[in-house]
Amino acid sequence: MYLLEELSQKYRTVSIVGMAKNAGKTTALNYLIEEAIDEGIVLGITSTGRDGENTDLVTGTDKPRVFLDADTIVSVPEKLYELADAGLEILRMTEYGSSLGRIMLCRVVTSGYVQVAGPVINASHAKMCDEMFEYGAELVLIDGAIDRKSIAAPETSDAIILSTGAVLSRSMKKVIEETAHTVGLYRLPVMEDGEDRRLILENLSKEQLMMIGGQDARLLDRKTGLGAGKYLDGEIDEDTRYIFVPGAFTQSVIADINPARLRQVTFVLKDPTRIFIDSVSWSQLRKKGLKVEVLAAIEVAAITVNPSAPGGYAFDHEELLRGMQDAIPDIPVIDVML
Amino acid sequence: MTACNTAIAQVDLTQVKPYGDTLNDGMMELTFTLPVPFGEEGSEAAKILAKKMGLDEPNVVYSKNMTDGYTFFVVYGKCQHTVDYTTIKVTKVEVDVMDRLECAQYIKDNIKREVVVVGASTGTDAHTVGIDAIMNMKGFHGHFGLERYEGINAINMGSQVPNEVLIQKAKEVNADAILVSQTVTQKDVHIQNLTNMVELLEAEGMRDKVILVCGGPRISHELAQELGYDAGFGAHTYAEHVASFVLTEIVNRKMV
Repeated sequence: MYLLEELSQKYRTVSIVGMAKNAGKTTALNYLIEEAIDEGIVLGITSTGRDGENTDLVTGTDKPRVFLDADTIVSVPEKLYELADAGLEILRMTEYGSSLGRIMLCRVVTSGYVQVAGPVINASHAKMCDEMFEYGAELVLIDGAIDRKSIAAPETSDAIILSTGAVLSRSMKKVIEETAHTVGLYRLPVMEDGEDRRLILENLSKEQLMMIGGQDARLLDRKTGLGAGKYLDGEIDEDTRYIFVPGAFTQSVIADINPARLRQVTFVLKDPTRIFIDSVSWSQLRKKGLKVEVLAAIEVAAITVNPSAPGGYAFDHEELLRGMQDAIPDIPVIDVML
Repeated sequence: MTACNTAIAQVDLTQVKPYGDTLNDGMMELTFTLPVPFGEEGSEAAKILAKKMGLDEPNVVYSKNMTDGYTFFVVYGKCQHTVDYTTIKVTKVEVDVMDRLECAQYIKDNIKREVVVVGASTGTDAHTVGIDAIMNMKGFHGHFGLERYEGINAINMGSQVPNEVLIQKAKEVNADAILVSQTVTQKDVHIQNLTNMVELLEAEGMRDKVILVCGGPRISHELAQELGYDAGFGAHTYAEHVASFVLTEIVNRKMV
């Protein structure tokens, strides 16, 4: 499986997003780093959390370390710099702070183990990735943290690798269902080009709730959809086709909307990371006629599965791999433990 | 004084062991409950467990029937393991801590407007002790809380506040900083709750506009990084630590 070669041809920034903690994100990262060493591709490596420490801060379990080859560009905060076993050349002290000190951009001079951490704010991440390209990185890999999925947003990364595994549930069926649900969300229909989309894009920077009906867009005097269900219900009239929600899409956005009116409209979100509704509620809402489109979907380049959980149970490698591939046929599924 | 020095001189920091009655005797006390009936077999189980944990000569000095089928134990034993203290590296935040009056002066000199801080104990956590210690006027342990700080508008929303509600409030009052407290939680539910907060803020497009701080006995700076927070305050930190961090960060991030 030459995953990396394909990735580096198609994308510039790839995030590794986990369905849960201990789903195998860092193992997936190491797999790609190894391929890059073989292929001679210069990587930029950063993390929304922290990577490469020996033991997990929450569960106390062993964590994989991160070995970087010479020339790799990596983000390291001040406090972790001296813990690196590799020789690092400091390229620049960035303005991004973190709880482990300011983030520094470094180039690996002599290969070895490095503890990686990057900015905690996604907007800063996007900016820092640009700098990594300037320093010669051909492909930037962002390792996610715990179950933080917002890094998957198209604003930050061109594509993602979704890491999932036994840690999600003791039932393999549930692991596959939950993963398929997330992939389904990430591939929600993109709002088609046209007058309605143009109206939304025109007013996008105002970050306000918006109703599209008739020929025009009506901006509502609200900056968030959170808790706005009742208000939205009152604002929907018979012409309303689309409701644009600039921020998070939770139960409280739609909870108090009359079922008939809910069926009438289509919600438009910036991207699928804005959705905070669990898989069971989501399918119930879909049955009630909820329609959601996004301005940009998320490209899932690959799915990695980890059949063993730190809780001490494991699934059969083949069975999980096959089950996952059957549920999601058009995305390559890789077992990181094989 | 001299006697004291001789005792210290013998400590080998590369092989540290617990101190009981004499240096390096390795004596430790454990207290725990086993789901076994009170009795001889129970005490034996406690001893075997202590042995497996690396304690020599385990000794059950106290046991008590908690309820049917549960027994509480106090066990003494000698630890076989040592720690090399000289190789330990711990990450600490180095913010110059300003006291309450210095904070007020710092706001006057550098920020020149009121600083708004919203805090709550979120999710399932019903304990307000943490957030109150930082925010309440009377403070904690002789350290006054943020409500008493001149130039800071501290809004304490109490306990069991859903993340969404805390975010709505922060948006409404245009908060500079959000403080999230997690005191007592089970099965690491605080981790999911804390990451959910970060994810919601990112989705709402607010993450880069606020300083996000978490606190609680199980929170450290290293964990804060993993969770996506700007800082994490653990045990033995008070309002002045949080205030100093928030105020200097406002200036650093040019949110003045």
